[in-house]
Amino acid sequence: MKTDPTFWLLARASGMTAYVLLTASILAGLVLKSRPFGRALKVSSVTDVHRFLSLLGLGMLALHGVSLMLDQTVKMPLAGLFVPGASPYRPTSVSLGVLTAELMALIVVSFSIRKRIGVRNWRRLHWATYAVFVMGTLHGLLAGTDSSQPWAKALYLGAVGAVVFATSWRALTRPTRPATAARRPAPAPTTTPVPERSA
Amino acid sequence: MYEIVIDRSLCSGFGACAELAPEIFDVDDAGLVSIRVGQSEDPSVLDAASACPMAAITVHERQAA
Repeated sequence: MKTDPTFWLLARASGMTAYVLLTASILAGLVLKSRPFGRALKVSSVTDVHRFLSLLGLGMLALHGVSLMLDQTVKMPLAGLFVPGASPYRPTSVSLGVLTAELMALIVVSFSIRKRIGVRNWRRLHWATYAVFVMGTLHGLLAGTDSSQPWAKALYLGAVGAVVFATSWRALTRPTRPATAARRPAPAPTTTPVPERSA
Repeated sequence: MYEIVIDRSLCSGFGACAELAPEIFDVDDAGLVSIRVGQSEDPSVLDAASACPMAAITVHERQAA
């Protein structure tokens, strides 16, 4: 009897889409700080896009996992989606995918509770996004059925190149100052300034 | 009336606040945000506070005397 390929195709497509969304979210995050487009993009809008892409990527990862579980090609048990090494199919490379998804979920959720865990701790955790990207790339290359296809190789190469380029830009350039009213005359002192806290 | 407090030790100079409420927030030459006024009735301070990725802005609502 021929197996229905719907979930297998869905698993492959959602995995690839999640990787693209993760890459786009990282690029938006890097644009947020380095501001390569100057004042053409509003910080608050880029922040929204960054968060939206992250959430969408997480949703796509969930679809990737559910599709793999429902599919009959690799027969993925539920534990294989959450416990590294529990997958009978390519255990090492699937483990990388499990760790990628779990760490990404942690990073996305941490934004909403950043005051509770401490903003500095949240910021440190945010650096782990690079680990998510590296593990996600390796997972795609090693576990992905389509990785040998020229279009898939081009996609991985493009994603890695874009993130490396944007990170280098972020590290090497001084960000543009946001538009402010700084050079305008200060408003009349009708209010009492509140002292700012400092470290 | 909104009372604004900035924790400059958290500020990373994203500048979202200065974009949303330029009459209230400013980015100084060091790339950190400072406040032009400490109190305001402009509700845009709430947008500015929630837009700060570093959660460096706190706004307290006070009843006008």
